[in-house]
Amino acid sequence: MLAIVLEATAKIGFMFALIMGLVPVLIWAERKGSAFIQDRTGPNRAGVLGIRLAGLIHPIADVIKLLAKEDVVPAMRHKFLYALAPMLVMIVAMSTYAVIPFGDYIMIGGEKIELIVADLEVGMLFVLAIASLGTYGVALGGWASNSKYTFLGSLRATASMISYEITMGLAIMGLFLIFGTFRLTDIVAGQGDLIWGWLPKWGIIVQPLGFLLFIASVYAETNRTPFDMSERDSEIVAGYHTEYSSLKFALFFMAEYAHMVVAAALIAVLFFGGYQIPWLPRPVLEANAGAMLTGGLIAGGIVLGIIAWAFFRRARREKGWYNDAREREPGFLGSVCVVLALVNLGALGLQPWAISELGASLYATFAQIGAFVIKVAFFSWLFIWVRWTVPSFRYDQVMRLGWQIMLPAGLVNLLVTALWVFAVHQP
Amino acid sequence: MEAFLFYFCGAVMLLGAIGVVIARSAVMGACSLILSFLGSAGLFAALSAPFLAVLQVLVYAGAIMVLFLFVIMMLEGPVMETETSRPKLWTTLMALVPAVIILAAVAIWLPAGRLPGFTSSVPEDFGQPMPVAAKLLGDYVFAFEIISVVMLVAMVGALALARSKRNQPWT
Repeated sequence: MLAIVLEATAKIGFMFALIMGLVPVLIWAERKGSAFIQDRTGPNRAGVLGIRLAGLIHPIADVIKLLAKEDVVPAMRHKFLYALAPMLVMIVAMSTYAVIPFGDYIMIGGEKIELIVADLEVGMLFVLAIASLGTYGVALGGWASNSKYTFLGSLRATASMISYEITMGLAIMGLFLIFGTFRLTDIVAGQGDLIWGWLPKWGIIVQPLGFLLFIASVYAETNRTPFDMSERDSEIVAGYHTEYSSLKFALFFMAEYAHMVVAAALIAVLFFGGYQIPWLPRPVLEANAGAMLTGGLIAGGIVLGIIAWAFFRRARREKGWYNDAREREPGFLGSVCVVLALVNLGALGLQPWAISELGASLYATFAQIGAFVIKVAFFSWLFIWVRWTVPSFRYDQVMRLGWQIMLPAGLVNLLVTALWVFAVHQP
Repeated sequence: MEAFLFYFCGAVMLLGAIGVVIARSAVMGACSLILSFLGSAGLFAALSAPFLAVLQVLVYAGAIMVLFLFVIMMLEGPVMETETSRPKLWTTLMALVPAVIILAAVAIWLPAGRLPGFTSSVPEDFGQPMPVAAKLLGDYVFAFEIISVVMLVAMVGALALARSKRNQPWT
């Protein structure tokens, strides 16, 4: 019993840390990325003892600001629902992670532990069900604030979420047919195969149209540009969360990014093989663990050394630019890189080329978790990339696209997939 | 554990149902109904029927109630605290007396001090995707198809009725 509780706690803790760790990084990436795309500098002021990390300290300053801010509430609000809405949004954003596999398995004390919080038979349907509940936080929050802007924002959000939920479900039906299961672990395991011996059997390869439909409807579900009509500043101020401030606003804000992470994780799991590394299945990883680990440590040491050298060069060049604490930053970061490089090279003393079987298994697990995290980070970045490069749709365009183009396309995709699967399985 | 889950989900369902009846605003009523649906989904999950539980949330709590709420919000608008009159004594009595009578009847009918036990009368694979699909698309496929046709007709009919003018285009 205790072991089960500990196991579940550890897994939930990992998922929680992944989301809550990615949220501030994403907020930073949104600001810095938009600045890069629009040829600006972006945030670079907040710092601790001159260490600014190119704006990464700003999310910490944000948190302090939001915690310390006065909670301004509209007088004529619906008290209960007004307080409930931000919690609902956050709960929905967090609970989807329960069914997302973030790794294959890990061997601890001779026991095989699956790296997923709840391996449900109906995993993907659970995701859809939770996503459909996500509408309530937005709809009730906008309504309970008793303001025209929030109300319009929540009506728009509800309309787009209702419209695109159907397409989202249809888009992945083809995937269920091909892998023959709703269980996300089975879908990921199925994507480890190769077609014709060289092409990874990823979702995007077997269901290209399904992928396009899914990614578009996921963008609409998370209310991100180009489907951001529920919070368009020039029309309805900030949309459904206009009347929220302080921590309640922070919950909405964090939930948006948590939604992005879950959407990115879903895209990775359904269409990009989840934790699978292409052409490197787990047995190969385990067999070559020693060589890969040694090579990785040496390469890591060399790369970190080069980065440290670049930092030290910058420290020399910037001497006397600011005449304050900021001048310490490159030197400090360079020293950190040197220490890390030394740790890498020092780890070679542990003879990683002669790694034990258990160590090889652990190495394979962590390599796969790393692959999953990299994929999630990339698709989260894709959300930001799209937001700052693609113009957004008008309300009627969003509706027409959803009902008249994407829904029929999803139906056709499902029909073609069904016929193909039927032809393959019953000649 | 099973008994705890049953009573917990049952209590949630009952609370939701009572909320629907006594809610002042229609929006609160709809929210209570959602709570009630979530409770029934919990009951299905406790019966180890995850597919039915998820469908309950997806279809009733997620899709149908969102549309309900959408329509209520559209019609009611961002207005609240409209109803200020207290319920009269005799209306409260009219509601309470039958409720007490029914409760008393149930309490007398049940064997004293013992509630019905839990027996595993459902098959092992009850409510899994495969058996549900086999029932729907195998045993009852004719009824299933007929219902889809009825739904399609209803949809077209609703569209035809919703057109305000005769010559309006169909989009």
